[in-house]
Parts: sequence; structure tokens; C-alpha cells
Amino acid sequence: MKFKLKEVPICANKEFEMLRITDEVRDYVAESGVENGVVFVITEHTTTGITVNESLPCVEKDLMEMLDRAAPEDYPYHHNHYLRSYGTIGGNAPGHLKSLLTGNHCVFPVVEGRVKLGSAADIYFCEYDGIKNRKYMIYVMGE
Amino acid sequence: MLIDTHIRPALFAPICGDAARFERRCDEMNFHLMKPSPLPLLKKQYALADIRKAALLPEDCSAETGTPAISNDEIAALVALEPDFFLGLAAVDPRRADACQELERAFTTLGLRGLVVNTARLKMYPGDPRLLPLYDLCRAHKKPILFHAGLCLEKDALAKYARPVEFEEVVAAYPEVNICLAHMGWPWVQETAALLLKYPNLYANTALMNFDGPYQIYHKVFREEMGEYWLEHNIAGQVMFGSDSPRIRPVRAKRGLDSIAMDPETREKVYWRNAAKFFGLEGLCDEI
Repeated sequence: MKFKLKEVPICANKEFEMLRITDEVRDYVAESGVENGVVFVITEHTTTGITVNESLPCVEKDLMEMLDRAAPEDYPYHHNHYLRSYGTIGGNAPGHLKSLLTGNHCVFPVVEGRVKLGSAADIYFCEYDGIKNRKYMIYVMGE
Repeated sequence: MLIDTHIRPALFAPICGDAARFERRCDEMNFHLMKPSPLPLLKKQYALADIRKAALLPEDCSAETGTPAISNDEIAALVALEPDFFLGLAAVDPRRADACQELERAFTTLGLRGLVVNTARLKMYPGDPRLLPLYDLCRAHKKPILFHAGLCLEKDALAKYARPVEFEEVVAAYPEVNICLAHMGWPWVQETAALLLKYPNLYANTALMNFDGPYQIYHKVFREEMGEYWLEHNIAGQVMFGSDSPRIRPVRAKRGLDSIAMDPETREKVYWRNAAKFFGLEGLCDEI
């Protein structure tokens, strides 16, 4: 059994943005030498997400607007207060909530050395609290 | 377009190379659990708020701490990296034996554009005789003064030394000097507004992220603590945008102010024209 981990740095160009990472995952699975197993794609942060959807600009826009409706910027969140542990104001509650809705990871089978994805499926790293230097993990397990 | 009049560059990577110094600075200024950020990333964050120029504020209580938390030389070094973007200000602990020489050096050799004074940290009132020679130098060099005003979240600081009304004698005694009460003097916002009404050389900035989120705090200050028309009809030419980054990200502060209804002319003044006037940048800003 092989266990291969890669940490991938990523930085959005916008405060809120879906970044397609399918090719990075495919490439690392191919590089890992794992023929049959699973691959996990996991974000390291609590105001980002990993998800799968169809890579169309209209769909991406609908998804982000739906998340904005679910967690609007101007709601009086409990997190909006002075955090003594940081010396800053908690201003990213919507990011935490969107992260919850998206989830922090996705899992896919690896079959004959390739990631098995549906024909319309793409993998996304979702930034909800940018712009920041971020990392996500690709973890391949198998033989 | 915005000019941010209030950024503390405590976490700017180019001045965070010395880990022990970085830790002391963060402890003194009350910033925790955060890492230094590279300039290109910070500039991307500022671009989200359409910030075109940003004033960098140093910190010098070296008579107590042994060394400035953010020195004038560090500010000058940051400005040199982005000279069209950053406006560097100076700070001098008036208890230093070389206080006047250091401020003179900051203005003439380092090219810094004004003086920052935090009387809450210095634990001296604004009219303290030790501060007057520094104000005289600002007058002589035609440089503005930005006072921390109101509650100070830094370690070992007392708000009683920075209550807005305490600044009145200095504002009255130096009518040729542009003076800013940062943070709108929060929580004494009405005192700040009253002084703005009387003194045309007085300005205030909006760096007041304390309670709640930006949508709530700006509404509370500009619509409840101040009368609905105070900003628009009385002091529109004296309030400047300030974020207080890194305590709050500038784009969030801007969104909060965007939610306060004001006519486009007033918004333009608050977002950049008043800051251009305060720093003497009118011609420069017309070119942006």
C-alpha cells in the first residue's frame, strides 16, 4: 500500500472565487504511481472549501450567489467582534459558513492510475475569505 | 478610489525578518496568531478596496521599550519598495534625548510626510510640554500630525490620555497644521464631531473597527451617535477613510462605509479627496 501526500499552494485573485484544480489532482495521481486506490483532496483552511461541479461560468456564478444568499456579508454574526486572541475583529463569518456548506474535502476512486470523475465533473478549491496564500492537500492511497 | 490613512505595517514581511523583534512588536502592539504577509499579497488585498495610496504608521515608545516597535527607517524602507503607493509617516518618543533631531531626520533625510503621536501609549496628555517641540517642527516643515484618539487596543495604553477634548488646545494652538484624530476618537465620537465643527484644520479618520462588523459599527457611529446629516452637511470635508488594518481588512471597512448613504461628492471626499488635502497631495491625486 502506498501513501502519497502533496501540499499545493494556491492564491485566488479575488476575495471570493472558485478555482478549478482538476488538472493538479490528475497530474499528482499519475505521478504517485498508485494504480488502484483513492485520492483525497483536502483544504487546510476553515474559510475555504473543496467541491465538485460542472465547470461552466454560469454555474460557478450561481453557486457563489447561492452561498452569498445563505451567508450574506451584512448579517450580524456572533463572530463579528473583537477577538482578544488575535487583536483583530472577526470579519470572516460568511467564509466560515460557506466553508461548512461546501465541506473541506472530496474523495475519488483511482482506477488504473487515473482519477475517476464523471464526465461533467471538475474539482474546485473555493476561496471565501481572500485574498490569502492558501494550501490544499492531495493524498493518494492505494497500490 | 480610496486613500487609506491608517495602516499599521506590523505584519509587512519586508520588516519582519528578525523573528525575536517581530514577536516583541506583535506583543507590544497586540497582534497575535498572525504571520507576516508579503507585499504583493497585501497590495492585492488593498486593490480589492480600490486603495490607490496608503499611509503607513510607525510606533515609537522606545523610552520604555528600548527600541521602536516600527521605526522610521523601517517605514522609509517600505515606502522605497512602493514609492507611488505608500505614504510614510514618522513617530518619535518625545522622551528620547534626540527626539527633535530624529523627527528632523525623518522629515528631511527619510522624506516622511507627517508625524504620528499616540498619547495613550505614551501616557502623556496632548498638551504635555515634551510634545510641543515636535509639533513646532511639524509647523516649521508644514507636515500634518495624526493623533491616535480614543480607546487604544495596544498593550499598556490608557484611553484617558487620548480623549478627543484633550486635543483641543493643540488644535487651537496650531491652526496652520493639519491634525487628524484617528478612529473618530471612538467611543467619544460626539466630542470629535464637535471639534471638527469648530476647527477647520482638524480631520478625523474612520479607522474604528471595535464592536460588531463594519455594517453595524459605521451605522451606529454615523447614523445613531452622530445626527443623520452631521457628516453630509457639516463635516464632509474633514472625515477621511482609514481601515486600521491589520485589525480589520480594508475591503471590509470599505463595504461598511459603502452601506452608509451619502451623496457621491461626499463619498469622494471621505474616500480620498480629504486625505489628499490633509497630506498635501491634491495635484498628485488628480493624476491617479
